[in-house]
Amino acid sequence: MSSPAAEAHAHAAEHPVEHMPTGLNTKKLIMWLFLASDCMFFGTLITTHLIYRKIYANLGVDPIEIFDIELTTASSFILLMSSLFMALAVSAIHKGNVKSFRWNLIGVIVFGGLFLAGQVYEFNHFVHYSGLTLESGTFGSTFYLMTGTHGVHVALGILWLLSWLIYSYTPRFNSAEHAIDVETAGLYWHFVDIVWIVIFTAVYLIEYV
Amino acid sequence: MSDAATASPHHDDPQFLKEEQKKYFTFMNLAFLMTALTGIELVIIFLPFPGSLLIFGSLIFLSLVKFVGVIFWFMHLIYDKKLLTVIFLFGMTLAAGTATALMFLFSESHVDQELPFYQEGLIQEAQDESGP
Repeated sequence: MSSPAAEAHAHAAEHPVEHMPTGLNTKKLIMWLFLASDCMFFGTLITTHLIYRKIYANLGVDPIEIFDIELTTASSFILLMSSLFMALAVSAIHKGNVKSFRWNLIGVIVFGGLFLAGQVYEFNHFVHYSGLTLESGTFGSTFYLMTGTHGVHVALGILWLLSWLIYSYTPRFNSAEHAIDVETAGLYWHFVDIVWIVIFTAVYLIEYV
Repeated sequence: MSDAATASPHHDDPQFLKEEQKKYFTFMNLAFLMTALTGIELVIIFLPFPGSLLIFGSLIFLSLVKFVGVIFWFMHLIYDKKLLTVIFLFGMTLAAGTATALMFLFSESHVDQELPFYQEGLIQEAQDESGP
């Protein structure tokens, strides 16, 4: 009787990978199309915040007084490092180095979790000490909607990567067969990082200029 | 061609492994660069030039460098087919175009300043300035 890993290899040999006439992998192409559409989604959220920030005079709070820019910078650093771990995890699985892949994936999950913890701390501080809530004006509404949506993307990314980490310990996992799936998950994670790069500058840093 | 052969490649191919090793150093250098840029962003907002176009422009530039670094190297666009770059930049262009259009449509010169929400904001601001 053959092992599950051997069966997976046999399955991989029998079923050619789905490629488009363009020569691109279908999963990767679909992820890029999704990310292109997500650009528009986040673009409108960020623009809405910036517009209301500019034309609605009554903010209710002074953003510079309530923002903790050192904490936000640390969060940005954490998310950038998680992107590095993700790039290394993808590289490791392409090389077939499952052990390195797992350790790098753990790094991504831990750093992603730290970022979310920072966001929870920030929201908690805003609500309980600065009086900035969803109902305290357009600034609060657009700020929480935008950063909250980004936070949900991060949380979903963590769950996705966590599922890959757990799956990598099962006998069905095959590094050659699943490398492209991990790479697709990695694209999503890096996208979450670039959205934060834009939010960090357009929403936080610009307030200080 | 088998899935194993096309999806991931060539675990034993020395050329492939050499390229992956080069990528490792590229990723590390890029991460250090982006960390440094984030530090610079934090420093320049505290420079004593409030409202300076130079500071504003520098922040946009630094953010753009980090953005490009992630999409081209971490997301492999530079190593992948150009079509993926076109697809992503198409989405980015639509997003940037929508953002620019909205900014113009809702700029102060285009907003009806008699609108209640605008007036409420101004009245509240005036009250805050005059004190209790």
